[in-house]
Amino acid sequence: MYLPDFEYFTPDSVEEACQLLSKYGPKAMAIAGGTDIVVKMKKEVLAPEILVSIGHLPELKKIEYVPGKGVVIGAGVTHNEVQNSKILQEKYLSVCEAAHQMANNQVRNLGTIGGNISNAVPSADMPPILIALDTTVKIVGSKKERTLPLEDVFKGPNQTVLEHDELITEFVIPDGSFTGSTYLKFGLRASGALAVVGVAASVQMDGGVIKDARIVLGAVSPVPLRAKEAENLLKGKQASEELFEEAGVIASGECRPISDIRASAEYRRDMVRVFTRRALLKAVNEGHV
Amino acid sequence: MAKEFSYLNMKREYSYIGKSLKRTDILDKVTGRGKFAADLKFSNMLYGKLIRSTEAHARIIKIDTSEAEKLPGVRAIITAKDVPSIKYGLSPARYDENIFCIDKVRYYGDKIGAICAVDEETLYKALKLIKVEYEVLPAVFTPAEAAKPDAPQIFEEYPGNINTEIHLEFGDVEKAKQEAYYIRTDRLQGQRTLHGFIEPHCSIAYWEGKRVTIHSAHQSAHYLQHHIARIFDMKEGDVRVVLPYIGGGFGGKVDISGLDIAAVALSKITGQPVKMFYDLEEVWYNGRARHGMDMKYTTGVTKEGKILFVENETILDGGAYTGLGVASAYYAGALLTVLYDFDNYRFDAYRYVTNLPPCGAQRGHGQPHPRYAFESHLDHIAEDLGMDPIEIRLINARKANTVTPNGYEVKSYYLKEANEMARDASGWKDKKGKLPVGRGIGVGNGGFVTGAGYCMYRTDLPHSVAMIKIYDDGTHAIVYTNAVDIGQGSDTVLTQMAAQAMGYPYEDITICTRDTDLSTLDFGAYASRQTLMAGWAVKRAGEDVKRKILAQAAEMLKVKEDGGYRFGKLTPEELDCEEGIVFVKQEPAVNITFAEVARAYFVKHGVLIGRGYYHPGKLGGTHKGAAVGTSPAYSSATQVAEVEVDMETGLTKVVGTWDVHDSGFVVNPQLLHGQVHGAFSMGIGETIWEKVVFDEKGKVLNGNFAEYRLPTALDMPYVESLVLDTFEPNGPWGVKEVGEGATTPTLGCVANAVYDAIGVRISELPLTPEKIWRALKEKEAKEKGGK
Ligand SMILES: Cc1cc2nc3c(=O)[nH]c(=O)nc-3n(C[C@H](O)[C@H](O)[C@H](O)COP(=O)(O)OP(=O)(O)OC[C@H]3O[C@@H](n4cnc5c(N)ncnc54)[C@H](O)[C@@H]3O)c2cc1C
Repeated sequence: MYLPDFEYFTPDSVEEACQLLSKYGPKAMAIAGGTDIVVKMKKEVLAPEILVSIGHLPELKKIEYVPGKGVVIGAGVTHNEVQNSKILQEKYLSVCEAAHQMANNQVRNLGTIGGNISNAVPSADMPPILIALDTTVKIVGSKKERTLPLEDVFKGPNQTVLEHDELITEFVIPDGSFTGSTYLKFGLRASGALAVVGVAASVQMDGGVIKDARIVLGAVSPVPLRAKEAENLLKGKQASEELFEEAGVIASGECRPISDIRASAEYRRDMVRVFTRRALLKAVNEGHV
Repeated sequence: MAKEFSYLNMKREYSYIGKSLKRTDILDKVTGRGKFAADLKFSNMLYGKLIRSTEAHARIIKIDTSEAEKLPGVRAIITAKDVPSIKYGLSPARYDENIFCIDKVRYYGDKIGAICAVDEETLYKALKLIKVEYEVLPAVFTPAEAAKPDAPQIFEEYPGNINTEIHLEFGDVEKAKQEAYYIRTDRLQGQRTLHGFIEPHCSIAYWEGKRVTIHSAHQSAHYLQHHIARIFDMKEGDVRVVLPYIGGGFGGKVDISGLDIAAVALSKITGQPVKMFYDLEEVWYNGRARHGMDMKYTTGVTKEGKILFVENETILDGGAYTGLGVASAYYAGALLTVLYDFDNYRFDAYRYVTNLPPCGAQRGHGQPHPRYAFESHLDHIAEDLGMDPIEIRLINARKANTVTPNGYEVKSYYLKEANEMARDASGWKDKKGKLPVGRGIGVGNGGFVTGAGYCMYRTDLPHSVAMIKIYDDGTHAIVYTNAVDIGQGSDTVLTQMAAQAMGYPYEDITICTRDTDLSTLDFGAYASRQTLMAGWAVKRAGEDVKRKILAQAAEMLKVKEDGGYRFGKLTPEELDCEEGIVFVKQEPAVNITFAEVARAYFVKHGVLIGRGYYHPGKLGGTHKGAAVGTSPAYSSATQVAEVEVDMETGLTKVVGTWDVHDSGFVVNPQLLHGQVHGAFSMGIGETIWEKVVFDEKGKVLNGNFAEYRLPTALDMPYVESLVLDTFEPNGPWGVKEVGEGATTPTLGCVANAVYDAIGVRISELPLTPEKIWRALKEKEAKEKGGK
């Protein structure tokens, strides 16, 4: 495998980066940690002539809590930075845990949360938990800026709503009413395995009653999938293992898995049942873990 | 019958062996200073790659290299017409591989030609410009397809696609059948796996006059030299092989790779050094790893569980060529008789050629799958008889000083004691049958040859030769041997042995290996032979040095008159040398340094050299194929594994493992434990995760370490590695092997533990979560249906 030639820009700001992307059009692409794009270039899946580096930009590197707004995470933050963030550990340990379960230490040191979302792989580990927590995304382009729910960013495998001059700059996990959340990744070994199934759940509890819940499934449909029927089942009900099992059964009916070399669709469906139940149990009983 | 004699508990204390001394290569490896083949650069060096087939079975109609040749920087493109049309392989009976395919390709990835260019960038660009036109032929991808009467024939020389056929019988199986109290048949399948070494093959060749030098990531300098000389019709003395540090081999760097041959050919044509290399994915096509096997065992036992006979029918998926594969087929049946003591044995095997990458040797050559199958089978027999699995193994374990029905002579052998020790260490009695659902414990036995009894080609050469040179002033020693350290630590162990044999400090010895010009013959790292075979040669060379030192010292030492000695009147027999000091045995205070004596020797005689060599002589077994499996010594081992299976997902976590090795005298305990840890990692991976997967065209689908899942450090269980104190009379200081033997019980013991945990036998490796999940579903459905 040989990395083909390309030109490399290191802009000083997001603005300049967007202008470069706009100026050169589709032959230019952003590079953050490079853990997805470089692999694809070596495999000749992608052949950008120009790479615009954004991983170094300080404005994309923050993790802060803004009262009234929520936790703001810059798109250039690496998975290890997410994992080790004091703010996130206090507020949403579940997000840190999701980052920690990803890939291996080397990749977590380079790979960014922005790259993980923009790459839009069905098995990606960060989208389910972030969607479960109602995260919004700030998107900046050379001409305009917009904010979208993360859920609406994905269009299909490797496809997002981003235009070629647009960058994700930050994620906001809004102050919300969720009392617990978790992400369970089912991979085929302890480290360096992609999710066969990933299930995130978030719940808002009122004593033993579930006021609100979200279930987000990874690796079992072209985009991260809300299991809305299962969510609806839960609302207003007394939490119980039987109920979670029932939610799992419904969620496994809602997903649209494929068979590949890692697992069959049939198996993935059943794992959605198992991990939906387990995730709900954990989020209800243990808080944000 | 041989005289009863126990080689147990013979431990002795030594200065330099039996100790975990620091590895000789440790600083090179931890600092990154050590050079592997891919690190080497020579001036004017060209970069080369093989041109590989993109069809599994096809006639080559046309190879169009014209566009690639036009690309500036491309130096040479060669195909079959540019090289000798000689066939090669590893075993003369089955030389079936051409340097480049002559008329047809036999697997996706087969070698069509080679190309070299001034840099890698040009090379990759040029490769894409080469167009090969094929007439696609129907292909076969499994032995079952290959065996069909109307199956396409892959080779003219292998009618019915049968590459190797073995039919052996020892004792009288039919008669034993009449006597058996209980007979059971089980059929199990082992998958095609890959070694998983991190360093892909790489080979650099350059010519100087009539001589060629090859630097290669290879497990044997000698075989590479021998085959290159044969293929290019050269004298062996005109081929110099240098092996840099090797990033793991596990059997995958024993076959002569297409890279070696192409590098030699291309550098001849271009007059420049040529570096040929595989990308990691190409190793899946050219790595020559473990055969997939379909194994059927029928065993008859007495009421007490004593084995009366075994029938073993094994089918191997060989892939496209033979290489080491013929030995793999024989090994699949050869060593069961060593493990267990029974008289009547039938072994039938068929190795089929298929249109997949060729298989060869992987750690435990031909053994791990058969061990997995038989150990599973034996557990079922024990269960049917109401016996504890360890109990049936104790009853049948072979004993020391016996001869197997297929003629192998077994000296030290303490499998029974290994079982007992593993049983006690693992807490077996408190666990077996008492663990909750989803948790299980299993046992497996194994072991291996300590070196193959015969060279791979017919020759009377000694198997290992060593030389030790002492510096002029006696302050340093160089050990010469072409034993190959592929990471297992043979350089360290042989240096320790040299130190012990000479009585000379370990720190003052440098080992000079892996260079056919500079060092001395050894067949290399395969069949777990280095410690015993190169060990003998080094020990003898060291003793030769010591003999000369003592003779010289006898002339130099003087003792008090009332001690009964006088100056110059000592005999060498009255002296000894340890840790660099020569002393009078009866009066150690009378001594002189080794260095002083060595210098005096140098002044008088010139260079002080010790020489040693080893040949195993004629070994047991007279049947066809006896050469595979006969060995001067056999290791044995018992492993126990404890697992936890998630009964909903099927995910297995191995929580604890115990290994007890009957490994003879252990030269370096730390290195032994390293082998055992590595063996568990490899064996657990093969039991639960690993399998090479192909698409319908014979293309590898998981040719990377993300999708070909080896266990990571996080997947490793608790490992307890224990050693029996045994002594092997055929080994220097009593040594035997551990490197390959340690992998052979793992698959069986983990599979048995999974069976114990879930109560269903899955008859095909690997035991992936999904397979376990499916088996549990089926079991549940059956139980419901039954009610
Ligand atoms: C060995 C290995 C294991 C892996 N394991 C996992 C795993 O377990 N789970 C998992 O989810 N992923 C895994 N990945 C994938 C990858 O590491 C992650 O998706 C990572 O988060 C990508 O981030 P990056 O910064 O490296 O992206 P890059 O490779 O730099 O970029 C990826 C894509 O996103 C675009 N992009 C990057 N940042 C932005 C932005 N701010 N705005 C708009 N577009 C942007 C780029 O143009 C490019 O198209 C693995 C990768 C490797 C190599």
